Amino acid sequence: MARFSPDEIQHHIDLKKGDVGRYVLLPGDPGRCEIIASYFDDAHFVAQKREYVTWTGTLLGEKVSVTSTGIGCPSTAIAVEELVAIGADTFIRVGTSGAMQPEIKTGDVGIITGAIRDEGTTSHYLPIEFPAVANADVVLALREGAKRAGIRGHEGVSQSKDSFYGEVEPHRMPVSDQLEQRWKAWVMGGAVCSEMEAAAIFILCSIYRKRAGGVMLMAGGEDMDPQHVTPEQIAAAQALIDVRRAIKVAVEGLKVLIERDRAGVRD
Amino acid sequence: MQEPDVMYHIQMKAGDVGRYVLLPGDPGRTDLIAQSFDNPRLVASNREYRTWTGTLLGEKVSVTSTGIGCPSTAIAVEELNMIGADTFIRVGTSGGMQPYQRPGSLAILTGAIRDEGTTLQYMPAEFPAIADLEVTLALREAAQTVGVPYHLGISQSKDSFYGQHQPQRMPVSDRLLQRWKAWKMGGAICSEMEASTIFVLSSIYRKRAGGVMLIAANQEADEKNLGVVEDLTQLIATAIEALKVLIRADKK
Repeated sequence: MARFSPDEIQHHIDLKKGDVGRYVLLPGDPGRCEIIASYFDDAHFVAQKREYVTWTGTLLGEKVSVTSTGIGCPSTAIAVEELVAIGADTFIRVGTSGAMQPEIKTGDVGIITGAIRDEGTTSHYLPIEFPAVANADVVLALREGAKRAGIRGHEGVSQSKDSFYGEVEPHRMPVSDQLEQRWKAWVMGGAVCSEMEAAAIFILCSIYRKRAGGVMLMAGGEDMDPQHVTPEQIAAAQALIDVRRAIKVAVEGLKVLIERDRAGVRD
Repeated sequence: MQEPDVMYHIQMKAGDVGRYVLLPGDPGRTDLIAQSFDNPRLVASNREYRTWTGTLLGEKVSVTSTGIGCPSTAIAVEELNMIGADTFIRVGTSGGMQPYQRPGSLAILTGAIRDEGTTLQYMPAEFPAIADLEVTLALREAAQTVGVPYHLGISQSKDSFYGQHQPQRMPVSDRLLQRWKAWKMGGAICSEMEASTIFVLSSIYRKRAGGVMLIAANQEADEKNLGVVEDLTQLIATAIEALKVLIRADKK
């Protein structure tokens, strides 16, 4: 058997065909997989290797999984490659992110329609001009999921970056001018949130004709800026920084997709 | 210079167009598209920019040609924005890029490859050129209503027509062919010359934009000799029906 074949146990995620459902939630943090799995029926732990933790269970009787990607596009591309090889076809990134527009409140969610390819991984797949776009039906399902969960959603583009500290402390980087100029352009372009994995998930899913979307908990907008609000208001906002809000939307969105797939709704 | 409120290139002012504007490339096609409006009237014609305004469901709608390519298209979108337009649908013809696409089917654009020079003067290349979801869904519903086969997907917005059709005679032919292969593998469904600019400018200005393209021919088709389809009837019917879907939704 050829090395890295779809029929063997996948090299990094340590999973084989049958271990995951076609629907896979993708958090960054391995520690969040168990929390996410608690929203599944009959959830069981499947595998753990490096930053890749997987649980599988069911929703509406359909097999679903959660696999962590680790931080950043390099490890995320490996997760998506290997999950596709063993039969997954629908991915929802779920996590936390920084809000980029003034109207966004902490505790809202961002529903990602596309991603800024501000990272190095996807250029190993496609020239930079190719857009990283979410699947329309996944976006619609997440929109419906947010409605069902009663959480305000903001649809828009995410910035998928390679450097966390380049975003939160740009001034101390040698390329700070460039970081700040580009951040300003992303905001003017309407980006809603900043995270580190969506671009790789979307580009790989375009190439492999799979479906992908993402839902991100928003934090750190103007409602947490001491120049704009009181310490009490900041504390109230901080209480809403709970990734379970995004998880609820992702799980409700998955149920919508499962229902629509069963009804044969498609592009 | 003109009076300050008349836009320099499109030769129109606020009130001359509706908020809904169809954007073909070809000025000659605006006359054909305007026939599907109620009470169409020719508003302006300057350079490659030709505009008709009429109504659909009692709502003011317009069609403005962009000319070929992103440079002239960016000017059209800039100036239409300034006079109050907020919803754009690119309407035109294109070449198919996937083996399953048949001439006569439609491509409904979800995004565009920024294979052009104009949008870099607005946004770094990493920023995706994305269609508005509401416009995309309206076009999908419209295609279903019209009964025309369609696919949702990404277009290649290129600057060189002959670089696509006759790459072998270009000094950069290797690069053109390599990139074409990458776009196909990425799932691009059609090749045209304006969508990326309409999408990137609409992102910046928080406007809505989408696109629907007739697959006139398909050099990548599995089945060869499928010929060329030049009848725009179903394409225009789909764009008009999508405008009605949006108008109805916006009135709610």
